[in-house]
Amino acid sequence: MAEPTRSFLTYQGIPVWRHAVIIKWALQMVSAVAVVTLVFWFFSNIAFAINDREIPFGFSFLSRAYGTPVPEHVLPYESTDSYGYALIVAAVNTIVLAIAGVILAILLGTLIGIARISSNWLVSRLALAYVEFFRNVPLLVQLLFFFYFILLLPPLAESYNPFGVMYINNAGFAVPSPMPAGETAFAIAWGVVALVGIAAGFAAHRSLSRRETLTGRVSYPLTAGIAVAAGIAFAAWLAIWALAGEAPLAISTPEPEGRFGRIEGGLRVRSGAIVMLIGLVMYTASFIAEIVRAGIQSVGRGQTEAASALGLRPVGVLRNITFPQALRVIVPPLISQCLNLTKNSSLAAAIGFADLTNVAITMTQTAPAISIFLIIMLAYLLMSLAWSAVGNLYNWRTRIVGT
Amino acid sequence: MTTNGDAQANGEVEDIIIARDVHKWFGSFHALRGVSTTVKRAEIVVILGPSGSGKSTFIRTINRLEEHQRGEIIVDGITLSNDIRNIDAIRSEVGMVFQSFNLFPHLTVLNNITLAPMKVRHTPRAEAEETAMGLLERVGIPEQALKYPAELSGGQQQRVAIARALAMQPRIMLFDEPTSALDPEMIKDVLDVMRELAHSGMTMLVVTHEVGFAREVADRVIMFDEGMIAEEGPPNEFFTNPKSERAKLFLSQILH
Amino acid sequence: MATARMTPGADLPPPRMTTGPAGWARANLFSSPGNSATTILVGAVSLYLIWQFLGWALGPADWSVIPTLGGTLIIGQYNSETVCPSQDCFWRPQVSLLIGVTFFGILWAVAATALVRGVALTVAFVSAGMALMPLPFSEMGMDVRLLLLLNIPAVFLGYWLGKHTPVSSTRNLIIIAFAGFLLVYILLGGTVFGFFDVPGLQVVPSRYWGGLTLNLLLAAGGITASLPLGILLALGRRSNLPFVKFTCVGVIEFFRGVPLITLLFMSQTLLPLAFPRDFPLDEVMRAGIVITVFSSAYMAENIRGGLQSLHRGQTEAARALGMPPWNTTIFITLPQALRNVVPAIVGQFISLFKDTTLVFIIGMFDILQIGNSFIGSNREFLDNSRELFLFIALVFWTINYGMSYVSRRVEETLGVGRR
Repeated sequence: MAEPTRSFLTYQGIPVWRHAVIIKWALQMVSAVAVVTLVFWFFSNIAFAINDREIPFGFSFLSRAYGTPVPEHVLPYESTDSYGYALIVAAVNTIVLAIAGVILAILLGTLIGIARISSNWLVSRLALAYVEFFRNVPLLVQLLFFFYFILLLPPLAESYNPFGVMYINNAGFAVPSPMPAGETAFAIAWGVVALVGIAAGFAAHRSLSRRETLTGRVSYPLTAGIAVAAGIAFAAWLAIWALAGEAPLAISTPEPEGRFGRIEGGLRVRSGAIVMLIGLVMYTASFIAEIVRAGIQSVGRGQTEAASALGLRPVGVLRNITFPQALRVIVPPLISQCLNLTKNSSLAAAIGFADLTNVAITMTQTAPAISIFLIIMLAYLLMSLAWSAVGNLYNWRTRIVGT
Repeated sequence: MTTNGDAQANGEVEDIIIARDVHKWFGSFHALRGVSTTVKRAEIVVILGPSGSGKSTFIRTINRLEEHQRGEIIVDGITLSNDIRNIDAIRSEVGMVFQSFNLFPHLTVLNNITLAPMKVRHTPRAEAEETAMGLLERVGIPEQALKYPAELSGGQQQRVAIARALAMQPRIMLFDEPTSALDPEMIKDVLDVMRELAHSGMTMLVVTHEVGFAREVADRVIMFDEGMIAEEGPPNEFFTNPKSERAKLFLSQILH
Repeated sequence: MATARMTPGADLPPPRMTTGPAGWARANLFSSPGNSATTILVGAVSLYLIWQFLGWALGPADWSVIPTLGGTLIIGQYNSETVCPSQDCFWRPQVSLLIGVTFFGILWAVAATALVRGVALTVAFVSAGMALMPLPFSEMGMDVRLLLLLNIPAVFLGYWLGKHTPVSSTRNLIIIAFAGFLLVYILLGGTVFGFFDVPGLQVVPSRYWGGLTLNLLLAAGGITASLPLGILLALGRRSNLPFVKFTCVGVIEFFRGVPLITLLFMSQTLLPLAFPRDFPLDEVMRAGIVITVFSSAYMAENIRGGLQSLHRGQTEAARALGMPPWNTTIFITLPQALRNVVPAIVGQFISLFKDTTLVFIIGMFDILQIGNSFIGSNREFLDNSRELFLFIALVFWTINYGMSYVSRRVEETLGVGRR
């Protein structure tokens, strides 16, 4: 005889306090009520405080004129532009800094990561010393060190002048760079054709490597691809020169000009951007180096041996066996380092480079702080999502069955 | 490659592998202590010995996965030295099968087999694939061609590894304990393939503990101990009437 | 016919130049012409750089900026005239240090390995060693040098407590860590969260806490709290209750998706509004909460990685023995998962300690801000900014490298990665 159960507290003949499904739902309800209550309490407190203490809040400021300069800007910017547009200008600065930083950090990090596993003791020890130093010191300390380092460089009038064409002083660096020689339109036209040329070069490389695999005939795809790209770019250069009577680009050399010796021409980078770039790249590279090292070491020695035993040369082993396998281990943590670099670029707030956070902090003096920070947090979340999307795309493309 | 061509033109070298007083040290550990032997074309040599006796190290010196430090190794008329051209020539001449298969996990079975012919020999893809399919047929698993190694059983993986080595049309095959990592029921499949290969006239050096295989297929058995050849001879004689005490002791441990 | 041939091959020494220093150099530095060239080039460049650096550090560099700042780097404005009029408050951070050192002593007794003993004794002797440094302690009231020297008996006291009292169970250790942290917090503030003041102690509002003490305090609090919080978030993310799961995913992804600086700003602008006006939550605590939650979001992902790496067989075996799910998690799954991710967890601790410098940007006087504002307001020291920041970098490096060294040794003894 089963133990009698009171009917009003049973479900499917089981007392509710012993029913797995009921317990699960009850827990859900309890946790939901707790979280919702807490969130509601926070938000009602905030709403109350905003009214009660007259904390400024709202988004109408976005269309007002900002009226404050943004020292560095990739997009065109005037002080008369709106707060909203100023935030976009600052976000683009952050994105440009992040992308430049990521590219350089991956290059440096890969180099150091490979040096870490070099058979040369001296090289691998130096790489280890680099990694251990830079990743154990807070980025902000490094940034401030570089900040003061550049601040202590000579002033504009006494700039270092290496090779007579570069200027290095406490306000920034200027280096020669190609700039439009006459009409900007010609330069842009040439740039477009050159890009088409590069695309054609890639296409040639692809088709020749295909031919090589299909027929086994050696076809030099890399050489041919570079030749095609360079050829098209050079032909376009000559054509524009012949038609317009001037080359599309010329090397512009920085020169001191005017009464105060301001440096004009060339590629000029202000000190804030340099400090951020150097700091972010050196710091992130120390993490990337470890990721690259772990990735390469994750490919077992047996793989290299098997490939060598088949007669592949070291370069072929690296390209066909080690690298593709290591990449699958490297990319996911590498993406999270790219994300970290992007978020760390917000330390520009302490250095004086007009990134998103820096501009936002300046804005809080004339606009509601909470609103501004909500906006930039959303912007950073979007950037993070973009990096995650890159990572997911890679995972999706390189899905491999089994291990 | 020219050395190889000359050798063929002059008529085949009878002694395809010649090892003279081969020494190898790992740090200060003396792993090979003067190994001398000769392998004739189409000869099947089984190498036995306790673990750590240097048998694997010895066959790995033959395709220079390990570098010997004293003595001389001549493979098909080519003397092993630091000359990269010689190393390349020998590597595509000598196939190797490993204990842990070492298939490339990121490539399909077919691509595992065609990789080296296409990258090293520049064989056209269609031809390489045709050869690969023929080899998969030969090892008995043509239906697995488009799978990845991780989807295969150990025995199937090892047979792919044999096909991969054969794709380079080697004259010599080295087997480094090819069945040690396999479940018992899969060992037979792999040994069958090796048996068939032996009958086709391939020169083979096999490190194994499979006594049955050695008795049936081997022309000669070499027993290694402490980095030296302790005893060698035809399988019948070696297994029934070993000369040295070391061989007797070893056989008493592995037979039964 | 079989021939026995053992004749050749005695145990010969290896050929010359393959062992010993010469052999080592040949194998690791000069194995090929390219390698030799690299060695010589890289060696020459690094020797030159080291020579240049030493030439600067021992020659023109002026390190006097560090003793000039002296105790301020360690405690900030804590003992200044405005904050502590009688200027006899320096003993409070020092007693806090003694409490921390005692805790290390307890850990030494609990773990009983040479490594933990080494760490505990190093911390104690380094703390005591500060008494011998040329810092202007004499201006700070009580004989602070004596208090610093007490760190050595303190570590042995902790060891004795760990050996002879029931403090050493895991549960008690956690309680002691939290209690010790609260005690330090009350001691430094001189008040129990603003509710009532401790008689006889000058109240020091947390905005005047500063220097390395602030960094260490934020880090210690963050480390103590972010591990359990991270575990909860990780378990929540793996929960089969959808609401719990998505809440945890939301928290983790939000805190990982935005920079810490923006969160710290919100901690000073939005967070106070989320609580009633007189809620006892001071600036340091608000910053600490944000740093902790930020860090625990990362911690949760590390722990989740550890949980995922476990074989399902472990859970199934425990469940088959009749263990209820929560016991399975607490006694079977979690300990294994945590053991597997020790390096990642320590990495996160290091990260957290480095992140405490970001309070710089919301104007708190941590060690970095003190250095920076000192140089900002004393332009004659501008030339010495390199020396100062190198020194600060070295302080952080020593502590962080120490942590990662310990983690690697623990990893070796636990055999992480070899399951």
